[in-house]
Amino acid sequence: MNTLAVRLVRKLLIGLIMILVVATFTFFLVHALPGDPGAAAYENYLMQGMSPQQAQAKVSAIYGFTSHDPLLVQYRGYMWKLLQGNLGVSISYSGVPVWHVLSAALPWTLFPALSGLIISFLIGCSGGVVAAVKRSSRWGGSLSMSASLIAGVPVAVIAPLLVFVFSTNLHLLPDSDTSNVQLNPGFNGPYIGSLIQHAVLPVAAYALLGYGAWLLTMKSSVVSVLGDDFILAAELRGLHPRTRMRYISRNAILPLFTVFALSVGYVLGGSVVIENVLDYPGLGYVLLQAIGSRDYPLMSGAFLLITVMIVLANIVADLLYTVIDPRVRQ
Amino acid sequence: MSTWRVLTRKPGRIVGMCIVLFFAVLAIFGPYIYSGPLAVDPDAIYAGPSAQHWLGTDFAGSDVLQEIVIGARYVLETAALAALLTGAIGTAVGLLAGYHRGRTDTALMRLTDFVLTIPGLPLLIVLSTIWSFGKPYEMAIALGVTGWGGVARSVRSQTLSLRERGFLEAARGLGLSNRHVIVKELLPNLAPFVAMNMLLALPAFIGAQVTLFFLGVVPFSSSNWGVMLNQAVFSGGALQSTAALPYLLSPLTCIVLITVGVVLFLDAVDELFNPRLRERS
Amino acid sequence: MTDTAERAAMPPTSADAEVAVRDLTVCFDTDRGEKPAVSHANLTLPAGCITGLVGESGSGKSTLALSLLGAVPPPGRITSGSVTMTGVGEVTSLRGAKLRGVRGGYIGYVFQASQNSLNPLKTVGKQLLDLGRAHDVDDLAGLIRRARELCELMGMDGVRILDSYQHQLSGGMRQRVGIVFALVLNAKVLVLDEPTTALDMLSQAAVLRIIARVHREIGLTTLIVTHDMGVVSELADRLAVMYGGRIVEDGPATDVLQSPSHPYTRALINATARVSGDVTRARALPGRPPDLVSVPTEGCVFRDRCAFAMDVCSEAEPVLGSWSRDRRRACHADAETVTSA
Repeated sequence: MNTLAVRLVRKLLIGLIMILVVATFTFFLVHALPGDPGAAAYENYLMQGMSPQQAQAKVSAIYGFTSHDPLLVQYRGYMWKLLQGNLGVSISYSGVPVWHVLSAALPWTLFPALSGLIISFLIGCSGGVVAAVKRSSRWGGSLSMSASLIAGVPVAVIAPLLVFVFSTNLHLLPDSDTSNVQLNPGFNGPYIGSLIQHAVLPVAAYALLGYGAWLLTMKSSVVSVLGDDFILAAELRGLHPRTRMRYISRNAILPLFTVFALSVGYVLGGSVVIENVLDYPGLGYVLLQAIGSRDYPLMSGAFLLITVMIVLANIVADLLYTVIDPRVRQ
Repeated sequence: MSTWRVLTRKPGRIVGMCIVLFFAVLAIFGPYIYSGPLAVDPDAIYAGPSAQHWLGTDFAGSDVLQEIVIGARYVLETAALAALLTGAIGTAVGLLAGYHRGRTDTALMRLTDFVLTIPGLPLLIVLSTIWSFGKPYEMAIALGVTGWGGVARSVRSQTLSLRERGFLEAARGLGLSNRHVIVKELLPNLAPFVAMNMLLALPAFIGAQVTLFFLGVVPFSSSNWGVMLNQAVFSGGALQSTAALPYLLSPLTCIVLITVGVVLFLDAVDELFNPRLRERS
Repeated sequence: MTDTAERAAMPPTSADAEVAVRDLTVCFDTDRGEKPAVSHANLTLPAGCITGLVGESGSGKSTLALSLLGAVPPPGRITSGSVTMTGVGEVTSLRGAKLRGVRGGYIGYVFQASQNSLNPLKTVGKQLLDLGRAHDVDDLAGLIRRARELCELMGMDGVRILDSYQHQLSGGMRQRVGIVFALVLNAKVLVLDEPTTALDMLSQAAVLRIIARVHREIGLTTLIVTHDMGVVSELADRLAVMYGGRIVEDGPATDVLQSPSHPYTRALINATARVSGDVTRARALPGRPPDLVSVPTEGCVFRDRCAFAMDVCSEAEPVLGSWSRDRRRACHADAETVTSA
């Protein structure tokens, strides 16, 4: 258990460094902008009737730096505010702190994406086992083929297609918003029902995103484990077929943990499209809007938050791996 | 089994090959079939399929079929360039990391981890605010530079397992230089593996481009499948009514078709390069 | 499954444990039709003896061994003949849970290179419990005790072994744990497939001593499948030689080794280098052993490499018949000619 703690601390440290690097990266990205975002906002404020001093003060408050300071000073200011949890103030939401906007949007991405991820993981992995065991039969072959196809179709095609089929044509599911706007939010039946109804398409889209990759990865992992000696040994020793299956599954799942963080990144990236098509106000939606309105604090804040989530997912996956595989516990 | 037999063993593979060839021909010769600018016909906006316009028209009355054919070149050219770029960068990084090991390996792998952790699509759209990569080679660079992480990891593990085989030590023992070993011994062994990875990357890059254009973050200068999707969904109201249906479904079908084609074809390529997978029929 | 559990609780006496292979043919499905890997094999493993089954790769010896457990891997299957075990009956006719019960309960199999024959994610002890539960063993604590005894018998610390994971054990230990798993359910027949191939010389000697000891102490009927004549000469009471899916000779080990009556056996012995004496005396056999597809379907399978081949060898396949006391051979050439050459 001692090694577990050491490993955890090490992973956290690396994760922290990663976040800092990403923050720096984002800072310089924003700073590499041609022209001066501050100047554009400054002009804007002047037009709104502020005095030059007020406008200047507002710009420096929003950006955490005035555009005339040397780069490193600005960087220090940015990082210092970041360490305090201050992501700056949004431009497009006139003065609302970035963290506010993000924390309101976060649940609308987190819950559907997580649900979709879990569903695609469960169905994809079981499908992968079937595809591996039955790989010489026609069923197995077509299962793998269908997974490859779904994996190959981009989210920009999946999301509109889902809406087209279920909303436009079949009129089964709504195509926008998180719930029926006429209902009162709260813990009441109609609202929760509407919430769920509106969440079906996003969750389905997230699930379809990841399903193909899970199935194919699990299939190749199972095929490789099936060739291992101890599986044959289990059969020759007269072990229960169910026990043998459990041996196979546990060993086959291991490599999937290493791709877990990657798939979280992919899913969160998909949120940009899914939430946009479905008018669902999550992180992806906010990110895209921020880009459209050149709201740099909000944009970099959202980007940073998404990356932090991926780093955290990576740490969790690594820990789970250590718990399951005794060989890495040296 | 001969190459031809492997390619034709399953009917799906032949279908896949035909599809891939079809689109390749379209990409190369398309603009010559439909030379000249797009004809605009304000009287026939979002018209349905007809003898004159096989797939109907778009928001400006231009022929959808024409746009599909012309659009093929951009999409495929960019995807191919991006695949080449990720192949080159990823192989270089993975090979050096796996071959030298030690500090080079750790450094290169930290870099690769970084590239892999950063989410691709959000990065690209954030990048679009400072650089409008509308032209094919610009798009290819943007996609290539952000997407080589996976290839690097795979190539590294392949290199590590090739290292175990001993022929590398033999070469070094003979006094052959590092460069010789890498170029003459490692690369030929890695080539089929990398080629497969690149082929597999094609649908992924087509998807990435389409998504970027779909989101409207990259300026478009000519007809383009992703742009068509964007217009169909957000301007044409294709999701609300069935008027602009062909306009929505045409690029959609092409994308799905290409993916199908590559996947089916890859099945054959996989077996060609991995003789061990050839199952007894 | 209670009857198997009852049987497992009452260890049968050594008189029970004889294995009879009768006219066994195992075919594999290939591109060019079904080809036999084992053809009309007749072999008896007498109770309480160590029988060595020798042959080159592709001779069908491993397939024969696997068919004793009804475990021929697809696309192979037993197309004719039978394997009978006293106390079990016809193994080849068993299916499902009954077959499962026999595997481990009556006959134990030890892998070639048992380096990876355990689940890397579970301790040895937990896997032992899985084994016990699969065979409906009521007294699991007794099973663990038996496992510990077997470990001690083979010179290992039982308690430590049971708490270990596979990667914490050395190669020789893993091999011995493989033997423990094969015997812990009181099986009376032990099959070892190439028990020394993956080990270094010192471990090889140690494993052979252990096998001999275990065989003696428990009173097993043992089959050792190997290509190594040295292993056979050290351990086996009886020796059977296989080539191209056929048994070409068998008999008491010392007799066969000292006066081989089949050209192939002669060649095998001649090819074995000896530590003492003239190394150059070892003579390799020209040509290559046949595989599934290239095995001749008419006449003697060995004729292309045989020093004693005659015309009749291309036309008719020799039958495995007895000659001399307790010995059998399948050859057209005269026994005297071969033994005195």
